[in-house]
Amino acid sequence: MNTISSRPTALGMSSLRPHLSLDRLGSVIAVLIGVALFASPFVVYRANRIVAGEGRMLTAALPPAGALGIILTGIGVALCAALLRNPLPRLAAAILGLATVVPIVGWSATFVTPPGNTFARVSPGLGFWLLALAFALLAADALTRLRLGPWVRLAAIAVAAGAIALLLLSGAWNDLSLLKEYANRADSFWQEARQHVWLAFGSMAASCLVGLPLGILAYRVRRLRAAILQILNIVQTVPSIALFGILIAPLGYLATHVPLAAALGIRGIGAAPAFIALFLYSLLPVVANTITGLNQVPAAVTDAARGMGLSPRQRLWQVELPLALPVILAGIRIALVQNIGLATVAALIGGGGFGTFVFQGIGQTAIDLVLLGTLPTVALSFATAIVFDAIIDLTRRGPT
Amino acid sequence: MIEIEHLTKRYGETIVVDDVSLRVEEGTIAVVVGTSGAGKSTLLRMINRLVEPSSGRVLIDGRDTLSIPEDELRHRIGYVIQAYGLFPHRTVSQNIATVPRLLGWDRKKIAARVDELLDLFQLDPGEFAEKFPHELSGGQQQRVGVARALAAKPAVLLMDEPFGALDPVIRSKAQDDLLAIQRRLGATIVLVTHDMNEAFHLGDRIAVMDQARLLQYAAPAELLTHPAEPFVEQLTGTAERPFRLLSLTRVKEALEPGNAEGEALVLSTTLHDALARLIALGKDALPVIDASGKAVGRITVERILAHGRLPA
Repeated sequence: MNTISSRPTALGMSSLRPHLSLDRLGSVIAVLIGVALFASPFVVYRANRIVAGEGRMLTAALPPAGALGIILTGIGVALCAALLRNPLPRLAAAILGLATVVPIVGWSATFVTPPGNTFARVSPGLGFWLLALAFALLAADALTRLRLGPWVRLAAIAVAAGAIALLLLSGAWNDLSLLKEYANRADSFWQEARQHVWLAFGSMAASCLVGLPLGILAYRVRRLRAAILQILNIVQTVPSIALFGILIAPLGYLATHVPLAAALGIRGIGAAPAFIALFLYSLLPVVANTITGLNQVPAAVTDAARGMGLSPRQRLWQVELPLALPVILAGIRIALVQNIGLATVAALIGGGGFGTFVFQGIGQTAIDLVLLGTLPTVALSFATAIVFDAIIDLTRRGPT
Repeated sequence: MIEIEHLTKRYGETIVVDDVSLRVEEGTIAVVVGTSGAGKSTLLRMINRLVEPSSGRVLIDGRDTLSIPEDELRHRIGYVIQAYGLFPHRTVSQNIATVPRLLGWDRKKIAARVDELLDLFQLDPGEFAEKFPHELSGGQQQRVGVARALAAKPAVLLMDEPFGALDPVIRSKAQDDLLAIQRRLGATIVLVTHDMNEAFHLGDRIAVMDQARLLQYAAPAELLTHPAEPFVEQLTGTAERPFRLLSLTRVKEALEPGNAEGEALVLSTTLHDALARLIALGKDALPVIDASGKAVGRITVERILAHGRLPA
């Protein structure tokens, strides 16, 4: 009866229950939680925003009740992760964990900051990040196992966005260094956010306007196909920073010699070269997926469409594009997520966007400022990917 | 009526269809048979100009098809292919409504026509109208494909191996359904197949093609009794020919006066089936009745065998 007692037991209790089996990912998560709770600083305290920080373990970072709360929650989630198979309670545990730890780190900042001291900075430490990572992993795994439909996923991302907004608006995090950096730059933050969205989504829209017709053309005219794809492939291999640089010269020339270009705000540096570079990068996924999507429309379907007397235009709009849509959208999703990340680099040539904070932060060795640029970028990419995946599923549903 | 005159298709040096002429009478079924690569499909696709002829012409009801814009021409010709080519993103009723919509019929007329066709093909509109093609069985998809081709009441229906993807049981049912519908609508059909049984079952006339050429275009019985070339004889199955001939002839044509003992056969039974009964029952003769059950004479093994005899 005791055949499995020799198995490694993360929590030392499985030998009591012969039918108990440990979840592999859950065990890793449990170990992560253990390390986070007992071997990592929960927050980092610094006397001012650029000096090296000192870690504060949980017990020093929070009043006893708070520390105990987090330890109990952490152990509870770890047990669920390691022992439970059913994704629903695992998801509930992960959400409970996040909902406990995330607000409490703000409380910890208030607790650790000496009263009246405006120079001191408290930021989340390794312990917090490990806990957040462990809970997020658990949630992501549970969500994958639940195989939620597209509408539920859209609702979930909306709820998550709402929860984050609520957290930030409630002021629970106001004493964290990240929010202090934000408070100093509230105006420019939203301006750069708009700029970032404009760069990423605007260039994407432009490359759809050009890429879709180009893809359709390449699909129809077989001889053009290889040439177009080859050129776009080469563009794709140019490193982003180099492409920004390459564009400075011609655009600068344009700006000084064509008054209209200058009037439109086109200059050698700034948003124009960044916009154009992002546009060029996103062209390949759009064109390539348009061709692939149109190509995978079954030959019998196009033959039947021709045989029934649909004109080439009617075939394109009524049959080929609707059937290619999921693949085309997948291309747009790839390009868009790539653009949101790449737009960060635009700040290097004065193009603005969240990259501004990243590079300022690096220059000042102010890691919190780097995070102020990074976290919104990651969140934006993540949300975009989830929303697009859901839309793709919706277009792919029913008719397959 | 379809008149094909000296139709030829060349791709560079290769001749795919070589000077084919034939005529399909109003309301009949012409079946084009041959081995793969014989040019059957190309011939069919030149009728609705999916393939443009290199030379020669096609007349439909006396009008040269080249004088009609190709999309307009295809709106008037039903087209069914082996893989059906149903639009996967559209429901059954939307699929069937394709050509009527292109022709700008009003909504009510289209809906009425779709229901009428679904009924005709024994698909309950309530159950099937809103289904997507992938929710249908192969046989149902095939019926929707034919219904879609017939939606705008075309005078001509082109079918390229329409039953090729069906299993044998469903196939013969689908063939019978097509015959019944064709008799009812009086459509002119050109059907391409490589299945000889199908050709003999459906064809009022059969066109045998080999290596781009039309070898013979004749009524099924004539194909058996007077094959124009050895290849035709081979294709119709040398050993099978007498039996095929018997399947084409009805008891009515071999009837002789007199009586016989045993279970009666109906006038419309084929000689093939009659012979099978005689063999099974171990009889030399059986009585024959007409549709109303009245005795009209008898059928004998000897007479049946005489009908299966091929000219030397």
